[in-house]
Order: sequence, then structure tokens, then C-alpha cells
Amino acid sequence: MDSVLKAVVVFFVLWGIIRISGRRTLGEMTAFDFVLFLIIGGSTQRAITGEDYSMTNALLLVATFVILDIGLSMLDLKWPFMRRVLNATPTILVDNGHLLVNRMRRARLTQEHILEAARRLHGLERMDQIKFAILEASGDISIVPAIQQGTAKAARRA
Amino acid sequence: MDEFASRHYPVKEHMRFQRRMWVVERVGWGVLGLIAVLGLTGLFGSGWLSRGTAAGNGLSIEYERFERATRLSAFAFHFAPGATERTLHLNRGFQKNYQISRIEPEPTRSQAEPDGFSLTFALPPEGGSVVLWAHARGYGIQRITARSDRAPPLSFSTMIYP
Repeated sequence: MDSVLKAVVVFFVLWGIIRISGRRTLGEMTAFDFVLFLIIGGSTQRAITGEDYSMTNALLLVATFVILDIGLSMLDLKWPFMRRVLNATPTILVDNGHLLVNRMRRARLTQEHILEAARRLHGLERMDQIKFAILEASGDISIVPAIQQGTAKAARRA
Repeated sequence: MDEFASRHYPVKEHMRFQRRMWVVERVGWGVLGLIAVLGLTGLFGSGWLSRGTAAGNGLSIEYERFERATRLSAFAFHFAPGATERTLHLNRGFQKNYQISRIEPEPTRSQAEPDGFSLTFALPPEGGSVVLWAHARGYGIQRITARSDRAPPLSFSTMIYP
């Protein structure tokens, strides 16, 4: 019995902590984030299994975690509000080439993060080549490039 | 357009929710920080808030006021000068919630009793100490009583976190 309860408690506590840690932790994982997640995994694992290394216990834990995950994804599908609570909501950081500085500060992001995503995703070099930058619910930054004068002409010629 | 107004293109935003979530995040960081600070003080075991002592009736005890399930901790029993054979009686609260892993020095005799168990030690006439290492087993607040020989019991409580 206590295996199932422990799994439920640990699942929600971990979810809560990761949720309040903000989305930066989930999207682009730095070397430090990676170490952080390894430590979180290692320190909770023993608390859940305790001194019970039986197959039954492992099965109970896996079943509980998977069913919780499925349950939450069903809540998520059914109620849009739950989706926001569970998985966050997208936030626009660059609107029509205009940097929304206060939003970025609250999301703990800088222009560097946006330029990095722009380089990685589209090979863009400057802020004026970005039309929209969106911090997605998943924690990734997605970029919509601005259509450049040169590019538009080239596109017409083609 | 207000920076915090919800935009609908290219994605539909919920800025009211998002702003509330940013506040919740910051409150959450505060709570995590508080947990870490309280952890340093010993509120969750091993630290100055957790150091407990009880004394009287020829016996003084040092113990961990806050304990965590499965963790090993020490109970030190100091006997006042007296006889060379001393018996320490511990109640069922101790027996049920702590699993003894080592007793220093080893008792010369151990015996079950109606309300717990007793350990008999050979000690010098000027008194001495016995350390009992035990793993916490139960959860919650546990009332423990200990007495030396026929003296009235000393009682104290420990809190075992899950």
C-alpha cells in the first residue's frame, strides 16, 4: 500500500517543484541542468524504493507512475484550463519584431536566448530578422523569421 | 499595446494566467529557500533544533528530537554514579518505532517486559554512558519513556518524518 502512496506523493511533489522552477529548466538543458536532473532522480529513487528491492514493488511503482501520467494527460485533453496548469501556456517574446522586455525578464530570458534560438533554428543573425519569438509551453523558444526584402525578391524571381 | 495584454497571433495567449503563474513561481522559490534554511537549522533532523536532552532520576539522555524514517541516529544514556549493574528500561513506543542496530557497550542481558524491554549493563560505580544506535521506523510523534533501574521514568518525544 505505501509504495503506491509514496509514488503518488513523490510524483506530485516533483511535478510541483519542476513546475515552479519555471520553464527555463525544461527547454534548453545546460550541463548544469543535466546534473540537477541526475541528482533529483538519484535522491528520490531511494526514497521511493526504500529497502524494498522486490519485483512487486518495482511493478507497483511503475504502474502508479504510468497511470498518473496517463490520468494527467487525459485531464489535459479534457479541460484547457488544466492544460495551462499542468503544462504552462505559450508566451510571445518578440511581437512583430518588437522585443517584449518585461515578459522576458519575468521568464528569466535575455535577447541572447532568442538570438541563439534564431541561429539554431533558422540561421538568422540579427534581431530585425525575427518577426515572432515564442516561449512555448514545452519550454523551447520557437522563431518565426521576418520576410527580408532580399529574400522576397529572390522568392519572386524563383 | 500593453506588454502584458494577451495576444492572439501567432498563438493564443493567456497572459492573466501566465502572470499569476509567474507570481506562484516566485512564491514557490521562497518556499524552497525556506525549506533549505529550516533544513540547516535542524528542523528536519540533525542540527541544533534537533538536539534533545532529558535528565533526571539518575539518568540523562541525549537524542534527536526530529528524526527521519530509516535514518540511523544515536541515543546516549548517561548513568549517574551508583551500582555496577544498571538496567535501562525502554517502553513499547521505542521498541515499535526504532530498530536497534548497535548498542555500545553490549548489554550483559536483555529482556522483554510487559510494556517494552530492558537492557542490563555492567558499568563502573562512578557511572558511565551507553550509546544506542537505531534506525527510525514509524512516522509521526512518538512518546518514549526510559528509566534506570527502579527510578521513576523519564519521558520525551521524537518526531519521525516520512
